[in-house]
Amino acid sequence: MKLKLNEKDISILKVISQVAGGFTLVVALTMIFSLVQLKTINPLDNPVLLSVKDQYDKDPANAAKAEQVRAMDLMARKAYFSSRWQVETGSYLLLAGAIILIFCQRLISDNEKLNPLLPGAKNDSSFQQKRNRRYLIATASVISLTAIVASFVLRNDLPDPSGQSGTSAKSEAKSKETAPKPDKTNFPFFRGQDSRGIAGGSGYPTEWDGVTGNNIEWKIEIPKQGQSSPVIWDDKIFITGAQDMECEVYCINKKTGDILWIGSAFNIPGEPEVLPKVDQDAGLAASTVATNGKEVCAVFANGNLICFDMNGKKKWAKNIGVPENSYGYSSSLMIYENLLLVQYDSEKKISLIGFDIETGDQKWETLRQGHPVWSSPVLAYFDGKPQLIINGNPKVSSYDPSTGKELWSVECMSNDVAPSVAVNNTMAYAVTDYAKLTAIKPGTGASIIWEDNTYTPDVSSPVANDEFLFISTGNGDVVCYNPEKGDTLWTHYFMDQFYASPIIADDMVYLLDRSGVMHIVKAKSEFQLVAESSLGESADCTPAFSDKKIYIRGKKNLYCISKN
Amino acid sequence: MKKLVPYIILIFLFIWHSMLFAQQRFPRPEFESGYTYPTNQLLNQRGPMWEYFDVAVLISALIVTTWLALKKRSRQGLIWMSVFSLAYFGFYRQGCICSVGSVQNVALALFNDGYAIPLSALLFFIIPLLFALAYGRVFCAGVCPLGAIQELTGFKPVKLPKTVEIILASVPFIYLALAVLFASTNSQFIICRYDPFIGIFRLDATYTLIIFGALLLLAGIFVNRPYCRYLCPYGVLLNVFSRYAGKHLTITPAECTNCRLCEETCPYDAIIPSDTDQNREEPEKSRKHFILYFLLIPVFAVSGAYILYSLAPSLAGVDSAVRLAREIRLEKETGIESLSKAVVAFKESGKTEIELFAEEEIIISRFRKASPWAGMFLGISLGIGMISLTIRSKRNEYKPHQGRCFSCGRCFKYCPIKVQTQNEA
Repeated sequence: MKLKLNEKDISILKVISQVAGGFTLVVALTMIFSLVQLKTINPLDNPVLLSVKDQYDKDPANAAKAEQVRAMDLMARKAYFSSRWQVETGSYLLLAGAIILIFCQRLISDNEKLNPLLPGAKNDSSFQQKRNRRYLIATASVISLTAIVASFVLRNDLPDPSGQSGTSAKSEAKSKETAPKPDKTNFPFFRGQDSRGIAGGSGYPTEWDGVTGNNIEWKIEIPKQGQSSPVIWDDKIFITGAQDMECEVYCINKKTGDILWIGSAFNIPGEPEVLPKVDQDAGLAASTVATNGKEVCAVFANGNLICFDMNGKKKWAKNIGVPENSYGYSSSLMIYENLLLVQYDSEKKISLIGFDIETGDQKWETLRQGHPVWSSPVLAYFDGKPQLIINGNPKVSSYDPSTGKELWSVECMSNDVAPSVAVNNTMAYAVTDYAKLTAIKPGTGASIIWEDNTYTPDVSSPVANDEFLFISTGNGDVVCYNPEKGDTLWTHYFMDQFYASPIIADDMVYLLDRSGVMHIVKAKSEFQLVAESSLGESADCTPAFSDKKIYIRGKKNLYCISKN
Repeated sequence: MKKLVPYIILIFLFIWHSMLFAQQRFPRPEFESGYTYPTNQLLNQRGPMWEYFDVAVLISALIVTTWLALKKRSRQGLIWMSVFSLAYFGFYRQGCICSVGSVQNVALALFNDGYAIPLSALLFFIIPLLFALAYGRVFCAGVCPLGAIQELTGFKPVKLPKTVEIILASVPFIYLALAVLFASTNSQFIICRYDPFIGIFRLDATYTLIIFGALLLLAGIFVNRPYCRYLCPYGVLLNVFSRYAGKHLTITPAECTNCRLCEETCPYDAIIPSDTDQNREEPEKSRKHFILYFLLIPVFAVSGAYILYSLAPSLAGVDSAVRLAREIRLEKETGIESLSKAVVAFKESGKTEIELFAEEEIIISRFRKASPWAGMFLGISLGIGMISLTIRSKRNEYKPHQGRCFSCGRCFKYCPIKVQTQNEA
């Protein structure tokens, strides 16, 4: 059955559809406006409400103000929900208008007289086919060309996982530096390569006796005392000592123990006339030297900073100001490319300074925030970029070693911070006594992944690889953690305190206690003691590892230990 | 009056359909009176029986539509079916489950062992194709909710120039290739994400999508079924299957008299005229063209594969992990902290940037493997399309193009031939 409409009905329907169309359009525009308002305006961000809330925060006892906040909050919410209601109602009105419009139009079109076009001559189908082929090819060509251009234009912004040649791949490869593998010979900084606490090479001795001389290749007395640790480049060992104001750098033949040269580091213009007040345990020579095979640089607690070539010829020296703090100065030096990096911690100023290692000119200085600490910088490689990480108080911070620009920081430390951070390929671990061990995910927006405050060292730095994190405390506890999750894998109590930092070498962890006994344990998830070897004298310095030999500075002597 | 019933039902359904704005956009107020909010009430998941019920509805709707299009030849009946499908699959089922989107479920299931495709999704994919193979695109005629909403609103048809038709006809192939690529790489279901009418069915979507849907419907008043013709990826498959339909809708119920009254009536340009009085391309030339395009198919396929392989890293950007990695990289390069939710969530997740970048590389390499196949599909489709334009079969009557025809029945009323049944006589 077909609904027959006469011309009058059709004209009425046309008027209705026009009204419905206009109504729909107005409702649609109003709804769009309301929706934009709803999405962009948050009722609780109303400035008047915020101002009243602010006033209430300053005077929380004011009951009238509280009532005012409630009333305004309610009003804002009511206004918001009224807008919502309008939008909801509007959507039904919109639908109703649209349906009426469509309904009328369908009726009108259904009742229009059937007026089939009487076509003229038929199109030449053969010609049409040819034309369609041309259009199709042209369309495909344009789309293909666009795609090719797009693939080239967008390529520069994309990483190339295939590792094939290309600008982006090259720059990616260049920017993705990775942590260098620890060298088996050179141990250039405090705690070795990059100051990470991991020794290269293998075949290191596990058993010796400083008293009987078993496995002691040589032993020499260091002319002047100090707490700095030995560093090694090729066949030379560098170490510092100081007595009163006389600070010295010693170069020792690695094979024989002979002192090759002594570099004096005093009477430098600007150095203080009186001995700075430092902790007796620390002394003036607590900072470990740094070398890159061409230069060897040292810093002392009186602010003297000096650089020699490998033959003992002074290249430059300067006094950077006495780092005044309660214990003295103990931060060790770091060399990155052509920069000597100095972590300067004083009550007056704490900063990170980059000096040109050739000339001693200061290239940049980045002021750090917080309180002086006694830790040393560690070079890490995260996301393919080198970062200098400092365990500070209260922030653990990362810096670009080329520019000194701060990359990220996490506030998590407190009290006296002496241990340096431990790093592996993915995380940094900061700890100090009376605070907590904190695992930090580096990067912009760095965050704390896990924390533990059960075991906290006061001097000794933690050491980590991708599988384990080791800590030796001032109480004699040694702890092995799962570095990723923070689970304690094992703990062991060794009776004596640890000041020296542990070193991972040859799948073992070398832990030197203050009495001079080296406790060697397997670097694995269960505790396994390999050996305990005594030096015969107390030791607080971190040992150096090179070419299957271990070099330990005791209270007075420097020992070379080898397997016979 | 009978004619008005479907529209009246549609009006009721629209009114009945309610919209929920239950998102929390700001914190709930705190009450000092001790009032506690009730625990959130989540809607229960639909039971599997209801999924099979949907399948049963689909099959029933297809059978009825087939009967209306092929046997009853009732345009009015097909409008009825469109109203029903729009109401059930569109507004009641809110556009999900849907045969158009099921392409992605199938692609994901084919290339990912870890994904078990729901039986209902598989059936929604297969059944309309089987019907297309048997009876043409009856699914488009009155069962697909996307087609139905466009069919009901397309009342002022205008024919587009053939140039535009040819150019736009390539879009669904590209859309299908990309949809399968993104689904098989487990990256995104773009058909669902950019379904222009889902916002209308659910009365909730992003502004851009609602505006896109509304514009498409507005355009559809004149350029009928724009989504079906120039976007629908499932339409590509239906087009192919329908070409081999055993029994297809016909314009005339009996023998065509070549009166030409229907020639310009199809808004979809799906009526192929008879060509008895037409010049034909020289057979030798046609053969040469055929051989040329046949030989060019591998060239098109390789070119397509190469182009999409080159685009693979860019295409991988649809994956959220790749986008996140790029955002993080940009943040590091510019030093400007990103405040996007994804970046904030990533930073709080404990996942490292190295892990993220490694994941990005895995996804890009997955795209490198899959993209050439999508390019090859497009190249081969182009080659076959070119070949089809060299083949001519002799036609003595006006008939629908079995691939392009939506079986909508608009042409019925233009045919002057009526068949009287015995009862009518």
